[in-house]
Amino acid sequence: MTNELSKPNKGVFDAVVFANKQIRQRFYRVGLEFSGDGAAAFAKAKAGQFAELDLSCIALPPIEGIAEDLRDAAERKILLRRPFSFCDVSSRREKTRVDILYCAVGPATLRMTTLSAGNSVNVIGPLGNGFQMPAGKKMALLVSGGMGAGPLIHLAKTLATDYPDVEVIAFAGAKAKTELPFEKPLDEISQQLGFSLHEFARYGVESEVATDDGSVGYEGLITDCFSKWLGQRSLSAKDTIIYSCGPEEMLARMAKIAEDKRIDCQVSMERRMACGIGVCQSCAVECRVEGSSETIYKLCCEDGPVFDSREIVFKL
Amino acid sequence: MTETVDISVDFAGVRLANPVFTASGTCGYADELADFTNLNQLGGFITKSITAKPRMGNDTPRVVETDSGMLNAIGLANIGLDAFIQEKLPIIAKLTVPVFVNVAGETIDDYVAVVQRLATERAIAGFELNISCPNVAKGGISFGTEPTQVSEITSAVKKAAGEKILMVKLSPCVTDISVIARAAVEAGADALSLINTFTAMVIDIETRKPVLANRTGGLSGPAIKPIAVYLVNKVYNEVAKERGIPILGLGGIRTASDAIEFIIAGASAVAVGTANFVEPNCTIKIVDGLKRYCLSHNVTSIKELIGCLG
Repeated sequence: MTNELSKPNKGVFDAVVFANKQIRQRFYRVGLEFSGDGAAAFAKAKAGQFAELDLSCIALPPIEGIAEDLRDAAERKILLRRPFSFCDVSSRREKTRVDILYCAVGPATLRMTTLSAGNSVNVIGPLGNGFQMPAGKKMALLVSGGMGAGPLIHLAKTLATDYPDVEVIAFAGAKAKTELPFEKPLDEISQQLGFSLHEFARYGVESEVATDDGSVGYEGLITDCFSKWLGQRSLSAKDTIIYSCGPEEMLARMAKIAEDKRIDCQVSMERRMACGIGVCQSCAVECRVEGSSETIYKLCCEDGPVFDSREIVFKL
Repeated sequence: MTETVDISVDFAGVRLANPVFTASGTCGYADELADFTNLNQLGGFITKSITAKPRMGNDTPRVVETDSGMLNAIGLANIGLDAFIQEKLPIIAKLTVPVFVNVAGETIDDYVAVVQRLATERAIAGFELNISCPNVAKGGISFGTEPTQVSEITSAVKKAAGEKILMVKLSPCVTDISVIARAAVEAGADALSLINTFTAMVIDIETRKPVLANRTGGLSGPAIKPIAVYLVNKVYNEVAKERGIPILGLGGIRTASDAIEFIIAGASAVAVGTANFVEPNCTIKIVDGLKRYCLSHNVTSIKELIGCLG
C-alpha cells in the first residue's frame, strides 16, 4: 500500500542546522541541511512550497533576552508543527541546504532563535504546490508584504536560473523600515528603483521598496507603489505575470490590480494549519468554481499555498 | 522483538493484530498518510466522518493551538457519501486492517442512509457513530448528550448496520458518561469509543473575539488525557465490563505509555488523534512500544492488561 501510493518527493526527515543568523531585530534566517532521502526530496523543493518544523523540543532563549511584549507568548507550550516557506534551496554533494526566513514573534519562532549549528530539527516536507513557472511570459513581477519576501527571494533565484530571458522585478513592502526582513543595512536602500535589495540584486533582479510610514522607499502601501509603477509602464499584459506573497488584505489588492490590468497573478496564501499534509482540514481557503456562482473550500496546505488570484474569495 | 509477545486483541468479534487505531478526522481516508506511515501495521483504521451529502465545513480559522492541546472546529467538512464510495472506498479496500467508517449527520435518517448504503461493503468492518461532534449547528453532539436520543439513534443505526460492528463515540460533555454509555449499549452498540473532544474557547485579547470562526471548538491533545483515562475507567467499571463491551480509548495519546494507561483503565484498544498531526508515524512507534512494554513487564498477552487497574 505504501509503495503503491507513495510519492518519494516528500517525507519526515531530520535536518541539521548549519546556521541561524539574526538578520536584524526580530528577523532571522536559519539554514537546514538534509542528507540522504531528505536531501533528494528537498533538492526538488519549489519556490512557494513549505515544510512543517517540529520546534516543541527546542529550548527558549533566556527570559531576560525576550522582549517584554513577547514574554507571555514565550511561556506558552507548543504542540503542533509550524509551517515555513523557503528563501533558498541549494544542493551540493548529496546534501541539500534549505534556508528559512522567519520573524521571532511567538512561542515557536522564539524557540527557533536558539537553534545553533549542529542541532537537529525534525521536518516534514517539502509540502504543497509552489509557484507555477512563467511559461511564455517575458516579465515576472514579484510583490511581497513583510515576511512574504521569503518565498519570492527563492522564486527570484529560480527564475534567474531557469528562465534567464524573463525580466524579473521585485517590490517589497512593510509597515516601516524596521519591519523589512532584509539583511543589508537599510540606509543603503536607495529611494529609487534599482538593485537596492541585495537578496534580489544577487540574482540580477531590481527591486523597489515601500513602507507605510515612508521611513524608506515609497511612502504608502506596496500595492499603491506597484500600481503607480505599472501605470508608468506600457506592459503587455499577456506577456507579464505577477507573483505575490504577504498579508491577505494585500493579496486581495494585488488580485484586484491584476484583474483590472488582465495580468496573470499567483498568490501565496496563509492559514492556520495543524497537519500541513491534507488531513486535518484546518486550512480551508474559499475558492470560486469556474463558470458557477458557488464556492468551495480548498486546502491551503495541499491545493495551495499558491493559488491563481482569480480563484480566491478573500477574507476581509 | 521475540514472537513470545502477543499484542493482538479481540474487538467486538474482530481480531486486531494490535490495539492501535487512528482516530477519526486525523488520518483522512487512508491515502493522505500513505507517504508518511504504513497503515497496514495498525490494529485498525477509522475514517474521517462521512455524511449523506458533502459538507463544506466551517469558516476559518478552524484550528487554534493551546497549551498541550488544540481546538478544532472543522465542522465535519467531508466529500459526502457518493464521492466516498466512488473515490475512497477503492483505496480503503486495499487496506488489510479492519476499517471503521465514522458516520455523522443532522438527522437520524441521515445516519441511517449512510450506514445502509455501506452495510454490505466488504471493505468495511464496522461503523463509528459520531454523536459527539461539538462543532456543528445541527446533529453531532446533540444526539449524544441525552440518553433517550442516544438510544433512538443507536437502535435505528444498528438495524441498518446489518452484520457490521457498531461502535458509538461518546462525548465527555455530559453529567454522567455512564448513563449515555448504558443507553448506547442497551440499544445495540457493539463497542464504545471515548472520548470525543471537549467544547472549549480561546479568546484573542486584542480583538476581544474568539479565535475560531465557529467561536468554540473541540479541545484535544495531551491536555485531555487524564480526564479521558478517568472516563474510560468509569465506563469500563460501570457499563462495559459486565456486558463484555469493548472500549476504544482515546484522548491525547502520543506514546505507548499513554496507550498502556488507557488499556489498564479498561480500553481493549486505543486510537491516536491529534498526535498524528505532529508525528504522522507515531501510531507505528506506539505499536512497537507496546511490544517493548509487554516484554519488559513479563506480559505474554496484552489482553492481560485490559482493565487490570489495581
